[in-house]
Amino acid sequence: MIAESFKFPEINSILRWRDLFSSFNKIALIAVAAAVIGSLIFILAGRKDASVAPKGVRNLAETSVEFIENGIVMQTMGKEGLGWTPFLLSLFLFIYLCNVPGIIPFLQMPATARMAIPVFLSLLVWVIYMGVGFKHQGIKYLTHTIWPPGVPTALKPLVGVIELISNYFVRPFSLTVRLFANMLAGHILLVTFALLTNSLVTAQTQQFMLKPMAILPFFMLVFLTAFEVLVAFLQAYIFTILTAVYIGGSAHPEH
Amino acid sequence: MHSAVVHLQGSSLQVHLVSSTDTTTTVATADTSAAPTAAASTETTVAGTTGTEPIVVTAEPLGAGAPEGEALVSKDPGPIVPEVKELLWGGGSFVVFALLMRFVLFPKVKKGMDARYNSIQQSHESADAERSGARAEVAAYEAQLVAIKAEAAKVVEAARATLEAERGAKLAEVNAGIAERRAAANAQAEAARAAARDQIHAAVSDVAGRAGELATGRRPAADVVDRVVNEVMAR
Amino acid sequence: MEAFAHLVATAADDKATAAASSAGFAYGLAAIGPGIGIGYLVGKSVEAMARQPEAAGMVRTTMFLGIAFTEALALIGFVVFILIGL
Repeated sequence: MIAESFKFPEINSILRWRDLFSSFNKIALIAVAAAVIGSLIFILAGRKDASVAPKGVRNLAETSVEFIENGIVMQTMGKEGLGWTPFLLSLFLFIYLCNVPGIIPFLQMPATARMAIPVFLSLLVWVIYMGVGFKHQGIKYLTHTIWPPGVPTALKPLVGVIELISNYFVRPFSLTVRLFANMLAGHILLVTFALLTNSLVTAQTQQFMLKPMAILPFFMLVFLTAFEVLVAFLQAYIFTILTAVYIGGSAHPEH
Repeated sequence: MHSAVVHLQGSSLQVHLVSSTDTTTTVATADTSAAPTAAASTETTVAGTTGTEPIVVTAEPLGAGAPEGEALVSKDPGPIVPEVKELLWGGGSFVVFALLMRFVLFPKVKKGMDARYNSIQQSHESADAERSGARAEVAAYEAQLVAIKAEAAKVVEAARATLEAERGAKLAEVNAGIAERRAAANAQAEAARAAARDQIHAAVSDVAGRAGELATGRRPAADVVDRVVNEVMAR
Repeated sequence: MEAFAHLVATAADDKATAAASSAGFAYGLAAIGPGIGIGYLVGKSVEAMARQPEAAGMVRTTMFLGIAFTEALALIGFVVFILIGL
């Protein structure tokens, strides 16, 4: 009975929506909104009087700047990495604002649960840390990516293979998959428990205990929604800090 | 509005043609190129003729379990294939956002933050300077205090020394007077004693001479009496 | 997930059934290692933070990095699950 009424929808039907117009869909809308909201926060913050103690939107902007500077840049790249703060800040804000619609009512879709944005961002990060490596170390960067400085000669073949695969393939792949799969898994979990609650409430059944049981998946749904807030923040943080680690590593290979 | 859903299963390919109105057309075939031409067939089933086994496909409205009005459109890529329009919109908006952040938004906010930090730092520093100035003043005052105290101690010491000297002098003077008087008294006492002794000597000599005269009838020599008396008195 | 309905209803499509169950196995197996790994990692980090609270910030950053690397394996399992199961 339940098995008939609870049928999980086709995966694409929970991920893809009707195009708003021919080349613009919900994911694009969320991405554009993320960029616009992120810019708005900083535009409004920039207009406020900077000389008094920050509050409101300025406080938000300054807190995020300080979070990136003290929590990410100083921890991974040190003082010379402070020039990367704007890039890392926009990366963090953009990913966070793309993640958070997963729990906002009526949007209810993290833009990063589609492959496009994670792939784009990790390829961008890959290009950037490769570029930084060549800029700081010249052509020697190629050998450094394969043999980090200080590796004993006996280990070079083994380390070479591992480092080659790690630097060129595993890093961008794992960056992409980590963000994408985390958000997709969260979305699917939310859909599952929402559908379960719905099907229990609307079940055509004689068993009187069945409908009150809907409270269980509903509680799980509420808990998971709260959990997704954490995941949205954590994934943005992890993506950003890994970017910082990769960039810092190619700028200064000895670290 | 029509849309096609393609399922690849083993060697065979299924093509669903779905219309958003009530008529649903399903075509199953093993050959991709044959699919569009066979689209005219009616509702039920068509067996693939070139495949190894016939496939029966029942007509099924697409996205049956999906929320209303949100059924998918157009063709059906895999869930992990990036879509070009999402890539372009997402990437484009990120690049615009990052450039805006790098060149306009972040520097402005950061400048304000730095200015405030600097002013706070400056007021901190001026407060520090004031505090150290006050400290220096306190130190100078204390140094003065120490000097004055030392001076006072010196004066007190000098006064005490003078007093001590005066007292010593007086004491010595008094002592000298006492000693003088005592010496005078001693001399007087000695003189009196000597006089008394002379008188006693004379008296004793007289008595002894007399006594000897009475006993012997002859007056003993004065020097003998004198010597005996001296011997007795010295005893 | 449609395959799950087949499993309950008819078991007509053996291939879909096999795909569904192997997808479940793939994800389940992929989750074991990272589960143990993340548990061990976080436990050790908490121990370190309790011993040296002044180093907590650094330990936390490193912990998140470690979790990110460990978790990637489970997530690859999840992607495989999506690929073959749905």
